[in-house]
Amino acid sequence: MNNKEKALNLVRMYNFAMIEANLFLDSHPKDQQALEYFQRMKKMHEKAVREYTEKYGPLTASDVDASAKTWEWVKGPWPWEVDA
Amino acid sequence: MWSYSKKLEYPVKIANPNPALAKVIVSQLGGPHGELGASMRYLSQRYSMPYDEVKAILTDIGTEELAHLEMVSAILHQLTRNMSIDEIKKAGYDTYFVDHTAGVYPQFASGTPFSAETFASTGDVIADLNEDLAAEQKARLSYDNLLRLIDDNDVRDPIKFLREREIVHYQRFGEGLRKVLDHLDSKNFYAFNPAFDKK
Repeated sequence: MNNKEKALNLVRMYNFAMIEANLFLDSHPKDQQALEYFQRMKKMHEKAVREYTEKYGPLTASDVDASAKTWEWVKGPWPWEVDA
Repeated sequence: MWSYSKKLEYPVKIANPNPALAKVIVSQLGGPHGELGASMRYLSQRYSMPYDEVKAILTDIGTEELAHLEMVSAILHQLTRNMSIDEIKKAGYDTYFVDHTAGVYPQFASGTPFSAETFASTGDVIADLNEDLAAEQKARLSYDNLLRLIDDNDVRDPIKFLREREIVHYQRFGEGLRKVLDHLDSKNFYAFNPAFDKK
């Protein structure tokens, strides 16, 4: 696994933890431990997204580098491609 | 992957329920020119699109269509809230009501359920983009026809927004098609399909 894939897997890992906690909280909205867990994963996710996007480009259109002179959003490879 | 934002792209606030309008507007959810088919069309086609700008156009418009699906659903929900049985019968909403009550279900105004036959994903970039251009015009004309049928400004307002978006999408797909053609042999655009044939 190359560095880009490693950085993306970190984003995936924290994002998936958020998705799981989100679903659990939907049916347990007062669970303090889950509330705290979600916030902790969210912080880790933000950090992982920042590290990924600085090196490898945006994951959402909102992540596009403000100083870039071109709309980096269109740049491939796109996620469904084998070389992504 | 996708994430959900807890807002409509454009607000829907309908003061007066009116199931007779829901009967025709439902076509823009699951009908032949509806938003569900629109989204599935573009999100399916993008896998065989070889050019990055056009992959972005298909992804981003396909995503916006999901937001339009939500807006049409919100219109249907608000038009069919607090209905009495008398109002349901008078509006001719009984044939929908019997299967769906006041639920939101993607179907044609004529009652046919949503079908993937309403869109194509051919794996041929010229055929797909021409389908997309036609689809945006067909959605536009359905919104035009709805505006001919509807007087209530609370309903007209979000429908006018949706109609305008069809026109913008048509423009973007036209630019997408031009970019695709620029990559092809101008003497014979059909000499090879860049999504399948090798140069």
